Amino acid sequence: MNRFPPSYPLAGGAAALALLPVGVLAWLAAGAETLWPAHALDVLINTTALTALTVLGTVLLGVPLALVTAYVQMPLQRFWLVLLAAPLAMPSYVGAFTFYAAFGPGGEIEGLTGLATPSLRGLAGAALVMTLYTFPFVLLTTRASLRGLDPSVLDAARLLGLSVPGGLWRVVLPRVRNGIAAGALLVALYTLSDFGTPAIMGLDTFTRVIFTEYNAFGLGQAAVLSLHLLAIVCFVLYLETRVGTEQEQPGRILSLPLAPGRQAAIGTAMVAVATLALGVPLAVLGIWLAREGIGGFEPVIAWNSAYVAMLTALVTAALAVPVAFAAMAGALGRVMERITYLGFGVPGIVMGTALVYVGLQITSLYQTLTLLIVAYALRFVPLAVGAIRSNAERLDPNLVQAARLLGAGRAEAFRRISLPLSARGVITGAALVFLETMRELPATLLLRPTGFETLATYLWQVYEAGYFGHGAVPGLLLILISGIGLVIMLTGERQTDTGLFAND
Amino acid sequence: MLRRRRLLQSLATLGTLSALPAPLIGAAQPAALSADALAPLEGRLTIYLGRGEGGLYGDIIAALRKRNPKLSLQVRQGPTVALANTIVAEARAGVRRADVFWAVDSGSLGLVADAGLAVPVPEFLHTPLQSQFRYRHWAPISGRLRTLAYNTERLSPERLPKKIMALADSDLSVAWAPAYGAFQSFVTAMRLLQGQEATRAWLLEIKKRATPYAGELGVVMAVARGEADVGLANHYYTLRFKAGKPRAPLALAFTRGDAGALLNASGAMLLSPDPLAADFIRYLLTREVQSYLAEQAYEIPLVTGVSPPGGLPSLGEIQPPALDLTRLSEVRPTLELMRQTGVL
Repeated sequence: MNRFPPSYPLAGGAAALALLPVGVLAWLAAGAETLWPAHALDVLINTTALTALTVLGTVLLGVPLALVTAYVQMPLQRFWLVLLAAPLAMPSYVGAFTFYAAFGPGGEIEGLTGLATPSLRGLAGAALVMTLYTFPFVLLTTRASLRGLDPSVLDAARLLGLSVPGGLWRVVLPRVRNGIAAGALLVALYTLSDFGTPAIMGLDTFTRVIFTEYNAFGLGQAAVLSLHLLAIVCFVLYLETRVGTEQEQPGRILSLPLAPGRQAAIGTAMVAVATLALGVPLAVLGIWLAREGIGGFEPVIAWNSAYVAMLTALVTAALAVPVAFAAMAGALGRVMERITYLGFGVPGIVMGTALVYVGLQITSLYQTLTLLIVAYALRFVPLAVGAIRSNAERLDPNLVQAARLLGAGRAEAFRRISLPLSARGVITGAALVFLETMRELPATLLLRPTGFETLATYLWQVYEAGYFGHGAVPGLLLILISGIGLVIMLTGERQTDTGLFAND
Repeated sequence: MLRRRRLLQSLATLGTLSALPAPLIGAAQPAALSADALAPLEGRLTIYLGRGEGGLYGDIIAALRKRNPKLSLQVRQGPTVALANTIVAEARAGVRRADVFWAVDSGSLGLVADAGLAVPVPEFLHTPLQSQFRYRHWAPISGRLRTLAYNTERLSPERLPKKIMALADSDLSVAWAPAYGAFQSFVTAMRLLQGQEATRAWLLEIKKRATPYAGELGVVMAVARGEADVGLANHYYTLRFKAGKPRAPLALAFTRGDAGALLNASGAMLLSPDPLAADFIRYLLTREVQSYLAEQAYEIPLVTGVSPPGGLPSLGEIQPPALDLTRLSEVRPTLELMRQTGVL
């Protein structure tokens, strides 16, 4: 065996690229005096509480939904998955603002139905909204892990007298805890870096302090505070490495038949989640649309969003494969992989500005689509890495060794064994990147070619101006395009399923 | 959008009806110049446009494109401060992409001017503006006024103070958005006009009865919902909210001659010596564009001879404080004060 894994040079390149904007932050921070808010402790407590509650909420919501979409035989199986993943394409500030407008005394729900609802504000409101717009991270990564499990262990458990729920709890879930952790990590980093939701809900978090500095012409201070935030990010990254899992061979996919009554109950629960996450914002935007009239919306904007997100998903997934394999090959690879996560925890506007400085180093690329896609890939490579790694980690290395023993070269073993077996993770990762790119705002605003508008930049413009009703049509398109994109990717997943495990 | 179409028509085809403005030229209070009197723009131009205003500025851009078919106009919209930071970053790397920076707040223009990147405003751009708005580094385009938005079901207008400092002595509950740039400009103005200590006392007193919101649209919505008696917000949020929901219990009040009636301005800065860039800004100061901003975006026209939006008294009646707007970029000490008082 060669001691130097072939994935290292590529992963090292990706890690070095990911470090560039962090280096720019350090450079911008040099010389800026550190300003500490008078209530730094409150800010830290709020930030931690919001992150912890959101992670808890997304696991409680995402894991059961992952079990259902992975195993339960339901009519319209793919439709449910697409519906439940779509909240990932909805910018969370759109959700937060429409939730704020819908609930509470004088809100839109009371105006329409006369029903009094409690106001959504503060920690509870922010955690609820963040949960609704990030739980698909957990749902998708957990589902990808679940679908790679061999169900014979569960069969054995049932033969030995465990009920199905008991078996799922004691035999199945422990084996996908790294998939759950990978999703939870993404949720935590997203929550740490999100500005809009806590701001709208009136919760004072780290990002709000950073944003205030940035807007008060204190780019240096914003960079200093972002580096401080990175300390929390590193702690979260360390926590996630503590979650490990056993290796095992893949098998056919478990399939649980359910009585129609139970199917209906599960379907109702899924509709309820989708109604909250997608129905509420679209309905509120629709009400405002009716009130304010339709704005001038050009369909080319939707196309821009769709193809950029698709290209980014492809590029990022390709970049993520060596990073994920390096992470499994050794300690140094693990460090490289952790480095690629750093940028995902920095608030977008600060990261976007740092990327402007990076992009300006290659003037011919500055403000081109190429650079925009590179920036997205840098920012979102952790989404794909997490999904690929949590899926591939459990694969028994004996399979590759057997292939090598039978005469396959290293490249052939990778192409014919490792890659097909981790295809589900790659597709899940690409789907996560696709959805996240659809809603990404700050880097898009700063790095896109001049005049290039996406659904997210359009939504931002109408929101900033207080003409949010004009966001109804682009909001709906965001959901529809995400759905189409997901269907395309899931078709790829089905092909890998039938190709490899044609026994079901 | 009927009015929107009218702007396009008036900008694009008014040439055939040019008999109308002629008698007004040379009058004591001259009408603002029509776009028809300007030569068509030709060439390539890139604009960095800080904040979008819901496609309304976009409509102006579209109308200008339609009227000037030989003009290739590239527009980049983004958060104002982020664009200012981008312009500075570009200059450090020896790159210049924008010919004009059109920004909604004067502080961002100050940031770019302080970096030495502003080309001085030529005299012919000063002429159309009211005399108090003629600055060296940038040309103001439209104004926004600080106002008190109040809930008409919760209180009668007599209970509102006539001076912003007196709001601290009332028992009214307040909605405000301390993290919002316009609010910080307002506190900066108060600091410059009333002094550090008076502002500190005012912030501490109001804070006891204030609820913070993320932005000023949120402030206005909260007042309309009865979550507070009075909201501190720019005028246009109330006018736009009322346009969508005319029966909302929401109305505007104005203080007199103090920071509570601060008139801040959006403006355009030349980054390139190309005369085409200055000619472009001249178009923004024409009667058509200024009336459109007033009627559709509820912004306050700053050229002589165009009426303010409906629902607002005239500037003469409101008496905004006399203050050099570029000083509003002195926001750092303001943040310091807001932090010390725990407002931020």
